[in-house]
Amino acid sequence: MNEILRMEHISKQFGDFYANKDINFDVRKGEVHTLLGENGAGKSTLMNVLIGLYQPTEGSIYLHGEKVHIESPAQAVRLGIGMVHQHFMLVEAMTVMQNIILGDKRYKGLFINHDARRKEILELSWRYGLNVDLEAKITDISVGTQQRVEILKALYRGAELLILDEPTAVLTDIEVEGLYSVIEKLKSEGKSIIFISHKMREVLHVSDRVTILRAGKTIKTLEASETDGKELANLMIGRELVECEYRKAEATGEPVIELKHVSYNKASKHNGLNDVSLAVRCGEILGVAGVDGNGQSQLSQIVTGVTMAEAGEVVLKGCRVSHMTAADFIEKNVSHIPEDRNRMGLVGNMTVEENLLLKSTQNCAFCDANGWHLKKKAMRAYAETMRAKYDIRCQSMEQEIRSLSGGNQQKVILARELEASPDLLVAVHPTRGLDIGATRYVRDTMIEARDKGCAVLLISADFDEVLQMSDRIIVMFEGKVMGEYSGKNPPIQAISLAMAGK
Amino acid sequence: MQKTKLLNVLIPVLSILLAFVIGMLIILALGKNPAEAIGYLMKGAFGSKTNLANTVVRAMPLIFTGLSTCFAYRCGVFNLGGEGQFLAGSMAAITVTLLIGHEGWWVTIVAVLAGTLMGGIWGLLPGILKTWRGLNEMITTIMFNYVATLFMGYLYTTALREGSVPQTAPVPDTTKIGRIIPDLRITWGIVVAILLGVAIWYFLFYTSKGFQLRAVGFNPVASSYNGLSVKRYMLTAFIVSGAIAGLGGACDILGTQFRLISGYGGGYGFDGVALALIAQLHPLATMAVAYFFAVLRVGSTTMQVGTGVPTSVIDIIQALVIIFAVAGSSMMYLPKVRKFVMNLFEKKEAV
Repeated sequence: MNEILRMEHISKQFGDFYANKDINFDVRKGEVHTLLGENGAGKSTLMNVLIGLYQPTEGSIYLHGEKVHIESPAQAVRLGIGMVHQHFMLVEAMTVMQNIILGDKRYKGLFINHDARRKEILELSWRYGLNVDLEAKITDISVGTQQRVEILKALYRGAELLILDEPTAVLTDIEVEGLYSVIEKLKSEGKSIIFISHKMREVLHVSDRVTILRAGKTIKTLEASETDGKELANLMIGRELVECEYRKAEATGEPVIELKHVSYNKASKHNGLNDVSLAVRCGEILGVAGVDGNGQSQLSQIVTGVTMAEAGEVVLKGCRVSHMTAADFIEKNVSHIPEDRNRMGLVGNMTVEENLLLKSTQNCAFCDANGWHLKKKAMRAYAETMRAKYDIRCQSMEQEIRSLSGGNQQKVILARELEASPDLLVAVHPTRGLDIGATRYVRDTMIEARDKGCAVLLISADFDEVLQMSDRIIVMFEGKVMGEYSGKNPPIQAISLAMAGK
Repeated sequence: MQKTKLLNVLIPVLSILLAFVIGMLIILALGKNPAEAIGYLMKGAFGSKTNLANTVVRAMPLIFTGLSTCFAYRCGVFNLGGEGQFLAGSMAAITVTLLIGHEGWWVTIVAVLAGTLMGGIWGLLPGILKTWRGLNEMITTIMFNYVATLFMGYLYTTALREGSVPQTAPVPDTTKIGRIIPDLRITWGIVVAILLGVAIWYFLFYTSKGFQLRAVGFNPVASSYNGLSVKRYMLTAFIVSGAIAGLGGACDILGTQFRLISGYGGGYGFDGVALALIAQLHPLATMAVAYFFAVLRVGSTTMQVGTGVPTSVIDIIQALVIIFAVAGSSMMYLPKVRKFVMNLFEKKEAV
């Protein structure tokens, strides 16, 4: 097989810190080559070097055997490198077709020849099995379809080498299957793919070769057929990974929160709740399984006071909630790990320290005179303690939180929410987008909180996560609770059927 | 971090320098000597005690409107109504002064309070429209500016008109805000302005409420998830921001202008927005930029008299500063520019 890309001895230095150090990486024509590594291992930096966002401090890049200097993403596109980012780069108000042709510089005419463009795109979508409605607006199509649009966009620009950055993180299981078949199609047409991931199973499923990065260095490149998940995991985190089997809690206490026949926006199948009853007790994890967008967001908002139920009763610690705000729920010791950490959990432009203290600046440990003077030293000291305790990796507490990796951002939220020693913890997709190490850490911490008597409501689209962690499991489908199952030896078949609405 | 902080200072400074370079070229193109023009500008601003005092007098209203913008924008409220809130403050202050009919320091205090209150109310109205009905505050605050300006016209032509000229009666002497030094026109208003600036800086960065207000400004969704009442903070920002501008209006009418006439108070509000943005919404920097604006304004008159370079050249320079500062901040979002600047920093650090 001939090689299309070779990156030799790539180093990228930020200040004193090497994000990449002496990395060697190559991709052959028609193969899927996975970059595997924890958050912060240097995968994103390496890809940013490849698409021209960063210039490497040292090292060189060869495309089809020729040395190239990639100075901008636009140049990368001209060289046939297309990237599908983890967070899609689409204009929501525009149609699929408009998004695909947007910014394409090959046709210089004053007017757009829509028919010709449409024909081209349709041909591509047919060839690769990427069926999308070209006239649909981005806001109206599912996340999985948006991803197809991104792939089409890259192909339309003539990409020979596609970078897929954690493409499955946002997809449902069915959509993942669809993506696999698209990848197969792309391979058979001679396209090469760099697949970035940290999920063992899918890595082994789709890759031809796997390169493991750790702490900015290449550890090893392996043939996917000659390795297994355990070996990969060990190489990736650099220590033996213990297969995690959490002890399930059996005796549980009083219910902390109860929902009785709660409804909200009942008419909607995807954004509403329909007659939901449930209770979360002290010292247990109640897992909510279900495909994303079946009312889980609304459920999480109602049990944290962000929105009020339209019908039914919410009982928090024995008191009926009639009109309470998020502030009242926080007052009653409810903690929340929200589903979208950047939008709902963190203030991106504020520092790590400020985000850690977002809820507690009125606390007398951090202020005098009823909030009119902040104890900056106490705040800093507290933040430093949290940094050590929750292993938050950042350059300084003064750093803007948006520059941290996803895993470290999640640790900041975890630190903030769990230090309040909550009576109820509502965790929504707590490990979404995190690597093995961080995932493990988040899960351990939640189990620890449970063992201390905290009631945990775990809402997750990751079925394995729900199965592993929950003491009881309920399944949501189209805003309804389909059934309740024991967390010990859960009936997987029955639960999967319930998730599909049967 | 350090780098962003440095950039926050570097961008405005570079913008000012660049604007001056272009200004000099314009002066050169007019056939005048730029060095001479700048010399007169400096002389006009700093040449004598009186001139120096004039720069301070000129800076005072700008400091108020700049701080008003700072406070609102920090909470994510895009208040463009500084103009109207400033006028509302002046009008309330002079109306109260003239209606009371007495003179004395206690009238001054009542008038200042009335001005502050009225400014606050002028901010509250668009605030209510925003928080309860979701109307865009950029539009409503500008509309409230017109209402204030037109109402001022009613006051000086009809309701409070004195004599044949369309203007109100002046503030009585003993009600005027006192001068710090009798010879110079600087009043205690500037002290109020500076104390207020320091207080806002302290509030924003050293109190719990200020911290929460900034959080709401940066990310209202996350703030509401973390139990902050976004609506309450935004409404407060509207009121306080209006009150600051209103206080400025009261201090200006009672200390510097003394009566309402046609064209009074024009431009202070929008200059305030511009200079707060140049100062990257930092209260202390806002005061410095306000003073800089005042220096240009005062100096430009002397420059015109001395060299024949029209004062509008200074307006051009001011506008350029704004354009460069805003463009500079936005340019930092372009990957190439960002990369370039960061590379510069990296090299510096390596040395």
